[in-house]
Amino acid sequence: MHRVVVTGLGPVSSIGIGVSAFTDGLREGRSGISPISSFDASGFPHRNAGEVPGFRPETLLRRIEAARWGRSGQFAAAAARLALADSGLDPATVAAGRAGVVVGTTSGESVVVEAVTAQQVEAGFGGMDPDLLGQVPAGRLAHAVSTELDLAGESLTLATACSASNYAIGYAYDMLVTGEAEVMFAGGADSVCRWAHAGFFRLGALTADACSPFDRNRSGILTGEGGAILMLETLDHARARGARIYAEVLGYGVNCDASHPVAPDRASIANCMRAAHRNASIKPEDVDYICAHGTGTPANDSVEAQAIFDVFGDRVPPVSSIKSMMGHTMGAASGFGAIAGTLAIAHGFLPPTINWSTPDPALAGLDPVPNTARETGVRVVQNNGFAFGGNNAIVLIGAVE
Amino acid sequence: MSGVVITGWSTTSPAGVGRAALVDRLATVVGAAAAGTAATGDSPLVGAATAVPDGAGWPVEPPPADPVEVTALSDEPLPTPTGHALVDFDVRAHLGRKGTSFYDRATALAVVACGDALRDAAVEVDDTNRSRLGVVLGTSLGSFRSTSDYTRETLVQDKPYLVNPVLFPNTVMNCAAGQAAIRYGLRGVNATVATGPLAFLDALRYGTNAIARGYVDAMLVGAVEEFSPHRAWTTWLTGQPGRSIPTGEAAAVFLLTRADRPDWAGPRREAEVLALTTGYGPGGGPAADQALTGCVTRAVRRAGVDPADISCVLTGETDPDDTDEYAPACAALGHVPARMRVSRLFGRCDAATGGLALATFLASEPPEPTPRLALLTGRSPDGGTAAAIVRGWPGAGASDR
Repeated sequence: MHRVVVTGLGPVSSIGIGVSAFTDGLREGRSGISPISSFDASGFPHRNAGEVPGFRPETLLRRIEAARWGRSGQFAAAAARLALADSGLDPATVAAGRAGVVVGTTSGESVVVEAVTAQQVEAGFGGMDPDLLGQVPAGRLAHAVSTELDLAGESLTLATACSASNYAIGYAYDMLVTGEAEVMFAGGADSVCRWAHAGFFRLGALTADACSPFDRNRSGILTGEGGAILMLETLDHARARGARIYAEVLGYGVNCDASHPVAPDRASIANCMRAAHRNASIKPEDVDYICAHGTGTPANDSVEAQAIFDVFGDRVPPVSSIKSMMGHTMGAASGFGAIAGTLAIAHGFLPPTINWSTPDPALAGLDPVPNTARETGVRVVQNNGFAFGGNNAIVLIGAVE
Repeated sequence: MSGVVITGWSTTSPAGVGRAALVDRLATVVGAAAAGTAATGDSPLVGAATAVPDGAGWPVEPPPADPVEVTALSDEPLPTPTGHALVDFDVRAHLGRKGTSFYDRATALAVVACGDALRDAAVEVDDTNRSRLGVVLGTSLGSFRSTSDYTRETLVQDKPYLVNPVLFPNTVMNCAAGQAAIRYGLRGVNATVATGPLAFLDALRYGTNAIARGYVDAMLVGAVEEFSPHRAWTTWLTGQPGRSIPTGEAAAVFLLTRADRPDWAGPRREAEVLALTTGYGPGGGPAADQALTGCVTRAVRRAGVDPADISCVLTGETDPDDTDEYAPACAALGHVPARMRVSRLFGRCDAATGGLALATFLASEPPEPTPRLALLTGRSPDGGTAAAIVRGWPGAGASDR
């Protein structure tokens, strides 16, 4: 059994592209929310999202031709390219097939699906562009990374919705622990799209201007996008090459509510936390910070907080939601959470929950790190991810002992 | 060796619902093909000059099956009036009305197959075991139809947000796995693998890992693809003109558990999953040939078998001249076993192809029942590759319990 460490971070986000800008964004409590520009949102009552308007794939990608890949694949590949650069690894030094990729997603190449659907509406099914149809499969998210970095190992896309990055990090961790691989790129990617914006609006889960998790007056999510990839490797491999080590992946837990397609389940989420703690060989009192799923909907934040109270009792660590800054980046969300948690450990600060003003009496005892980042030592982070389909996944990240 | 065994399975396929339907279909066509081969005494030569002549072994590949009239499955014009579909499939006949009214076709096919596989494996799900039982399903992008129709509504309705919120979860790729968990109360690891032609083999690897790592005791492992105008047109527009294999649909689901857990494995052990390997050949082409050869070589080594004992390669190839999987597999094995392309029987089933291949192997018992070894392969256009080696045991019985 090998230990697994984080040695490279690749965020492509609305609050910063690259680890330095992203760290600054977290510390400053930057908002990445802006009026939607990727589609015509004029007919929607709510018109803001966490897009990444500054994303210029051609400036980040070296091997793949952006036009041949969908936006989500471009996000994944660019994020992986940044993670590799951040790690200082020369991939040529890794034996062929010993470096792989796992990318999580909610909606895959949603922008491409929307484009071929618009063609259907215009010209009938026969009018769909074959080249665009070739870009539709979700498996191309991982393949974009493998092609960009020229990696011959596993190339897996996991589609477990909004906890998918934690699934990806967990599976990559297993591949490293068991010696299947030495280096893995893991995280997630998704793109802002019309159908998700419409669906969340009609579910009553979309807010207008600002996402305010754990606030009494919270009123929903904002959709977001981006790519979040972490480079993981075995501790032995990292030490042998003299790598800078940010943190260690301690373990993870996944389970399924098996009760409702969209409503979260308090007992099931608490069970997932317990499973994650057990698999990571830690106790609740070891956790210094919870990077929450924290979508900003009344239901999620309430259920998540209650599950935390159930597991942590009267020793609840600070709990913040970076979705307050970036919106809900769907399949990338828990990847950004893992990056934020890793940075919290490496630099000793807690990312804030911005847009917070009014305590929620029902969440008394929960410290959301309101509005301003907090300097403090962090040794163990719990990164929560929940999803439609009851797909809960929680990753534990710790300082390297 | 993984120590993971298959103790039951089911398919919803053009042959019908349940394993008995598949066994009956195969008994007819494979039996006839075997008789034909014996009469001529030749192994058939297939395809272009570069093709590998098919070897002798079992099961014997039958000639392509005739597609059926599928126009009843679409309100939209179809590129061809025929395909390989289960035209009269009605989820209510199997599961009733309650809870099924908002299933899309992919979800319905998968949930029916999951329930049937549980029955076939004689697994009774109750409060003592439901958290130790999970499900992983493979897909290409979930239901292309559900997703595309949803975004179509944002384009054609008076207001772009006039979508049906109840159908929103169907646009998310984990819908089928989540609904299977709800239907049968499966609270263990729940995942969705979205790698198209590799998805079943990737799901098999994901599920085997979850069992081997101790996260669960048993997993339903499967893959699903539905017939829809969206997929039919994709096959038509992206295939070679006039040579496209008809679009198909199926769900194939297997119950996997540890061989050393008699409480789960029950009295019948049909097969053992000996090895699963994956790789990537960036850019496809020769790099992917090499990646697949590498996968097969590693799988043989891991399985600890003599490659000469592998009597059949079940591939995902769809084109009549295609030896993209067979040729690299034979190169790795050092001999030419029989080939079975299940797309000839069931049409182009994308993610479900590997599941149909495994079901076909298990369902086609040779005249002289002995333990037998099969190699399953998969390959994606971008360069993804996967291989599995499975040992089938005789006398498993043909019927659903």
